[in-house]
Amino acid sequence: MNFFIKKLLIVIPTLYIAWTVVFVTLNIIPGDPVNLMLGGRPASDEVRENVRKNLGLDKPVFERYTSFLINATKGDLGKSYLTRQPVTTMIKENMMPTIELSIGGLIFGVFFGVFFGIFAGTKPNSMRDTFSMIIALCGISLPSFWIGMMLIYIFGTTLGWVPIVGEGFVSLILPSITVGLFFAGGMARLTRSSLVDVLNQDYIRTARSKGISKYRIVLRHSLRNAMIPPVTLLGIQFGLLITGAVITEEVFARPGLGQLLLQAILAKDIPLVQALVVYMTAVYIFLNLIVDFTYGIIDPRIRLERNRG
Amino acid sequence: MVEILNVSNLSTAFQSDYGSKQALKNISFKINEGEVLALVGESGSGKTVTSLSIMGLLPNNAYIQEGNINLIDKKNNQVNILKLTDEKHNLIRGNDISMVFQEPMTCLNPTMTIGDQIVEVILNHKKISKTKAFKEMIELLGLVEIPDPTQRAREYPHQLSGGMRQRVMISIALACTPKLIIADEPTSALDVTIQAQLLQLLMKLKNSIVSKTSILFITHDLGIVRELADRVIVMYQGEIVEEGKVKDVFDNPKHSYTRNLIQSLPEFKLEERKLTKKDDNKQTKVDDNEIILKIENLFKEFPVEKGFFKESNETVKAVQNISLNVKKNEVLGLVGESGSGKSTLGKSIIKLLQPSRGKIYFNNENISEYSNKQMIKIRQKMQMIFQDPFASLNPRKNILDTLIEPILVHDLMKKNEAINYIKEIINDVGLPIESLRRFPHEFSGGQRQRIGIARALVLKPEFIVADEPVSALDVSIQAQVLNLLEKLKKTYNLTMIFISHDLSVIEFFCDKVAVMYLGHVVEIAPVSKLFNSPKHSYTRALLSAVPKVKGKDKEKILIKGDIPSPINPPSGCVFRTRCPNPGIDCKGGNIEMGLIEVEPGHWVDQCCANCN
Repeated sequence: MNFFIKKLLIVIPTLYIAWTVVFVTLNIIPGDPVNLMLGGRPASDEVRENVRKNLGLDKPVFERYTSFLINATKGDLGKSYLTRQPVTTMIKENMMPTIELSIGGLIFGVFFGVFFGIFAGTKPNSMRDTFSMIIALCGISLPSFWIGMMLIYIFGTTLGWVPIVGEGFVSLILPSITVGLFFAGGMARLTRSSLVDVLNQDYIRTARSKGISKYRIVLRHSLRNAMIPPVTLLGIQFGLLITGAVITEEVFARPGLGQLLLQAILAKDIPLVQALVVYMTAVYIFLNLIVDFTYGIIDPRIRLERNRG
Repeated sequence: MVEILNVSNLSTAFQSDYGSKQALKNISFKINEGEVLALVGESGSGKTVTSLSIMGLLPNNAYIQEGNINLIDKKNNQVNILKLTDEKHNLIRGNDISMVFQEPMTCLNPTMTIGDQIVEVILNHKKISKTKAFKEMIELLGLVEIPDPTQRAREYPHQLSGGMRQRVMISIALACTPKLIIADEPTSALDVTIQAQLLQLLMKLKNSIVSKTSILFITHDLGIVRELADRVIVMYQGEIVEEGKVKDVFDNPKHSYTRNLIQSLPEFKLEERKLTKKDDNKQTKVDDNEIILKIENLFKEFPVEKGFFKESNETVKAVQNISLNVKKNEVLGLVGESGSGKSTLGKSIIKLLQPSRGKIYFNNENISEYSNKQMIKIRQKMQMIFQDPFASLNPRKNILDTLIEPILVHDLMKKNEAINYIKEIINDVGLPIESLRRFPHEFSGGQRQRIGIARALVLKPEFIVADEPVSALDVSIQAQVLNLLEKLKKTYNLTMIFISHDLSVIEFFCDKVAVMYLGHVVEIAPVSKLFNSPKHSYTRALLSAVPKVKGKDKEKILIKGDIPSPINPPSGCVFRTRCPNPGIDCKGGNIEMGLIEVEPGHWVDQCCANCN
């Protein structure tokens, strides 16, 4: 457990650095949030001054920085400049759609990624290997707005199998495939190369010398040993997804954290951006922790090292 | 005699981008029930390809051109293995024929417990329940003398030592009482003491529970053949060049290759050398007065990594309180099992590792506290030859660049001069001048080691540490490289520390030997004294563990178990936990380590010196 406590302690400095970077960049880049709030309408100096005061922007930069940090430690991440709502509420509202989409993408991606990875890796340099890898390459390289629109066109408009907009599970299918394809491509390639590597190991030859069937060799002896690189990728990609898949959300007109972040940055809504960064950093660290934990399940050698530590 | 396996006219080839290469050329042989047949030859001779052909485990780019392999299986049916589908072959693999592989470190699945890996083969071939298979597995672990089988069965391979893992491999091979066990260099990766334990175990099993099982024993070690096998087949470049009863082949080798193979063994070389000893003395004269290297109470300890925040207070005690001196033109051998600290000592002496405590005098200059900057000048005089010639050469530099770099770094010569000088050296190590333009991967193992030697020589050092310089090479190449080193030692007036785990190489090459065990030197003596009248029990066990081609079989002194952890070595005499005849005092660990002189020049650790 020691190991995980150490990992958790790293959250604090990481968050601090992330906040500071966001704060500094948003204050350096040109553009006045007051202007944006007024929506470009002309206003008297008095009105502008009022808005500025309301937002707390009349205070010196350093004071804003410290007061933000102090409030943050109390759990108050501030109010959005734009909507005057507490940012935590805004994030909560947008979080669920994003999580749904991420999990949908994850399931689709892992299933097809691992499947094609095994399909290709068990017979390298064959026709089926080339075929699988071409599909994987498509998954990685085709832009998701194109995939999204094609899916809508084919399955939504032409065939009419799934609704394009709406609520619930069915409406999740097409967006999940869209984000999942990218996922699956990476997973397939990594699973394949890792599996090819493992199948050349001495212990696979030992297993074959025992007269074990090739299915058992792949499933029981190889897959687990080959899973470390794909799991690492999984952590990174899932992190990307859960912080919002902006383009996919846009194409399918779904609410989500990606959309929220985009709007917040454009409006120079500093509290909202900061809060989103806090959320994303925390999610990343948490996912990394899960990935690290999974390593231990996969490989007993890593488990042992930790127990010693 | 019942014949169980008959290989006839077998030819196997490898397909590559450059065309196909014949690995086996029309070989035929047979194995009788219950016999031990040895297959010897150097790397590339086709031994392993033969075994993999029988097992049907050839890599994808290999194919069998022609031939038959007929096996009498357990039901007394004759089957031609080469005609079987993979599914049918699976019924035979692990059941009628099983295999023990060379690399104990990598041939077990790291993510499965060893118990599961043994149970797997049992369930695969026998129709019995899981609980029954589990029971059989525990029995098997007991048979291969693994202590505490129920506990061990739950452990993973990385928790076991190399010797223990190889025992697990043997139990997997035994699990279905096969007709034939193929053992492919099963002990080559292990220390001699562990090798002796395993060979003894194998023979014990062979003579008891699996007396009808035949063994095809593949090895490059003629000593093992002599000790174990009934018959021997000698292979050379994919062909069988000689076959016969072990005694006949060894006493009266017919083929010139066999004769060369036997004669290139260091034990035979040694005899030649003894015959020519007189001229030898003229040429190498150890100067008794001039001590070139003196080590006093040297320690090297590595902290055990514990993690990100905490420094651990445990240390690996790699070198413990060692004092030595090396005279001019002398070759001091360092010998011991892996983990005894030989390499660490060698590296500490030339300060590739900073010693933890102690003093090193080189030409009466205390270099132990020298900084890296100060060492640069000294390094000219002290060089190292490494074990793995390939890994220690930069693959992206041609040989000239590799060799010229140190000369230019030390600013010894102008570039033109240096090139001429390097040509001389490359000639001295027996390589053609053209090799200078080539890259490391274009050379064979023996040639690479010659380059490694040339690299050590370019700065004209006085003193060289050679760390296992020949252990990665085949016997005949080994002999060539040793002869070269012997010659260069004279022409370049070298003083050397020669590290090796191979006692016969040490005996051939060194003047004085220090035997190391768990970081301590337990015995130092001139080479003839050490080999003829060893005083320490560890030295005795080590000497007796080496399989010899010549001489009568003596009762082996086996030492039990594995080398203890250098993190928590036993108190007092570190060898007491494995000592075959410990005294009452040393059992309790009451005797401190320390060398005493029993004869002039012959020093032994006091614990054993008192016991015997």
